Amino acid sequence: MSPQVQTLLALALVALAATGLVWRAIVRRNHPGCGHDCSCPASALRPPVKQPRRP
Amino acid sequence: MAPPPHLSAPARAPTYALVGNPNCGKSTLFNALTGLKQKVGNYPGVTVEKKIGTTYSQHGQPITVIDLPGAYSLAARSPDEAVTRDVLLGRRSDTPPPDRILCIVDATNLERNLYLVHQILDLGRPVILVLNMMDLAAQAGLNVRVARLEKELGLPVIPCEAVTGKGLMELRLTMSRSDLPLARHAWNVPTPIAPAVSELASSLVEHDHKLPLTARAEALLLLTDQDSVRVAGSSPLSPRTTEILQGWQQRWAAEGTDWAGTLVNSRYDAIGELAAEVVQRVGVAGPSTSDRIDAVVTHPVWGWLVLGGVMTLLFVSIFTLAQGPMDWIGDHMAMLADGVKAQMPPGDLRGLITDGAIGGVGSIVTFLPQILILFCFIGLLESTGYMARAAFIMDRLMSRVGLNGKSFIPLLSSYACAIPGIMATRTIEDHKDRLVTILVAPLMSCSARLPVYLLMIAALLPGDLMPLGAKVGLMLLMYALGTLGAFGFAWFFKRTLLKGAPPMMIMELPPYRLPGLRDVALQMLERSWIFLRRAGTVILAISIVLWFLAAYPKAPDGATPTQQLAQSFAGQAGHLIEPVIRPLGFDWQIGIGLISSFAAREVFVSTLGVVFNAETTNDNTAPLRTALLAARWPDGRRLFTPLVCVTLMIFYVFAMQCMSTIAVVKRETNGWKWPLFQTLYMTGTAWILSFIFYQAGTALGF
Repeated sequence: MSPQVQTLLALALVALAATGLVWRAIVRRNHPGCGHDCSCPASALRPPVKQPRRP
Repeated sequence: MAPPPHLSAPARAPTYALVGNPNCGKSTLFNALTGLKQKVGNYPGVTVEKKIGTTYSQHGQPITVIDLPGAYSLAARSPDEAVTRDVLLGRRSDTPPPDRILCIVDATNLERNLYLVHQILDLGRPVILVLNMMDLAAQAGLNVRVARLEKELGLPVIPCEAVTGKGLMELRLTMSRSDLPLARHAWNVPTPIAPAVSELASSLVEHDHKLPLTARAEALLLLTDQDSVRVAGSSPLSPRTTEILQGWQQRWAAEGTDWAGTLVNSRYDAIGELAAEVVQRVGVAGPSTSDRIDAVVTHPVWGWLVLGGVMTLLFVSIFTLAQGPMDWIGDHMAMLADGVKAQMPPGDLRGLITDGAIGGVGSIVTFLPQILILFCFIGLLESTGYMARAAFIMDRLMSRVGLNGKSFIPLLSSYACAIPGIMATRTIEDHKDRLVTILVAPLMSCSARLPVYLLMIAALLPGDLMPLGAKVGLMLLMYALGTLGAFGFAWFFKRTLLKGAPPMMIMELPPYRLPGLRDVALQMLERSWIFLRRAGTVILAISIVLWFLAAYPKAPDGATPTQQLAQSFAGQAGHLIEPVIRPLGFDWQIGIGLISSFAAREVFVSTLGVVFNAETTNDNTAPLRTALLAARWPDGRRLFTPLVCVTLMIFYVFAMQCMSTIAVVKRETNGWKWPLFQTLYMTGTAWILSFIFYQAGTALGF
């Protein structure tokens, strides 16, 4: 494999990885949390319950 | 009108709500019934939200089980308890009320557990009572007369040992019954209160569209509880019902009578009579095995020694047991990289694969054995009930610094990851206490810091030159430093920004149990999968991008790898922050790692893997630890001196370097103010302490 082809393939992989990270960041913006990466229970990532209020 | 003696099964498969006090084995029973992988906790508040699972009847029909948060009564005092109350009372539009209720009680504390059962029986739904921990009750000298309890309440009572699975067959058979009897629930509401109950119940039926029996139960609850905790999704009371409720409350207040208290007391009286009937103490009551263990484990002096011993054992295991598997993984990663180098001609793609992908991901995956040992210990300690004792010991210290006792669970969770810890603060009712806990939770050393500590200790104390005790001691010191930092800042915040007195906490110590090895093994499997998935996705992508940033723009031909790295994008960024970090003893290469750590702390390790692998010219991949030891300043001085390694560890103890945590804090505090403050105070503290330590160490000649 020539160095030029290697460079093209490498840059394509870098673009793919960068796109994946940006996509992940956008998803996180809408659903912030660890994305289950930290082993926290999935239910903990649901929208927070409202603070108590008096009726 | 008298209720029908039996309630026919609904046309669809019935839905059961699983309810019970905290620590009564509810999560264990849920796991056993549904097979869902759920963390089994010994503390109140582990189950923050409802969980749904499916079990099967004796005929193979699916039965839905909703696991509701643990509660001592339907009078909710926190949002998670409010969820339980709202589901049972049919207040939540997102969750229809369950057809049947599976009520689990701790047989060793039957009288206390019966309060919730008593309230649930008011709801007029078919109930199955599960008497859990019958073995422990027998050990404690308690004879629970199951048949008598069944007769008194008029509902199926199943003795059970959820941990061993004993009684589950009988429970499934009972759950499979097409008809379940309604409880013969005899409880005389005091006569002066009856009109209030009646009027309120009528209004709930008419204006809030409640079923008559549910309406009566809700009326009883409203008259005693004030209904103070309401959460999102909970249907509000109709104006007419609110008006009637307030009318009665004002009337009672004007009369100076405490009918609400009378109502509660009359329920306790009924429960007391029932418990006296069904619970017999056999033999002479003496301290149980748990009590005898607790005399040592929760002792003001011995308790701390035991806790220290457990932590020492944990870290000794991490360093000794994991060494072999770590070396194996490291060697195979190096072999893989060398294999690729042998098969491919030099070029960018080869560099990306060996230095970026394998170098970055491999350096993280090497720590899998140690992460697994950490979570194995956490699982065992949770499963045996020791964690509650650790909480008890720590609570003494926490109350001195003004932390809420309920802060312990979030802080403990933060040793694994700050995100579930911050989520768990929802169980803290007081807003200021909750905020203080959120602010200090990321100071507890999370598992993402572990690879950084381990790498630094490996660089600081290479090979077998230093005794194991020094490594373990250093690791303990870092965990202690984070914990003390959290307590110190909590003390400071409670006296300045967020003043307030800490409320009292009543903590229940569950009896000791043999560890549920299946649950621990499942948890470890889950953790390893999560760790590997993260390494194979996010860390891989970051490593590839980092490789690009370290490889481009290209230096002129003939440049050395170090010159290439220095003029790359990553190198330029490292050079940009070098003036800020140089007083801490860090150079621009470490600076690249610090910048990338803001994605996630463990990325520091993979970044160093990429940076220092990119600097090597030979075809044999050196382990990262070796590469770090060989790293030099331009003047030839060693870069990773012991002083720099410890300074880096101190920096990582205090610095806020996790975007996910910042995002979660922003969501939990509804704004950017507190996450920004948190980032500034933590990272500022990290810099100041690292500066003091490094400069002092340098002045002393280290």
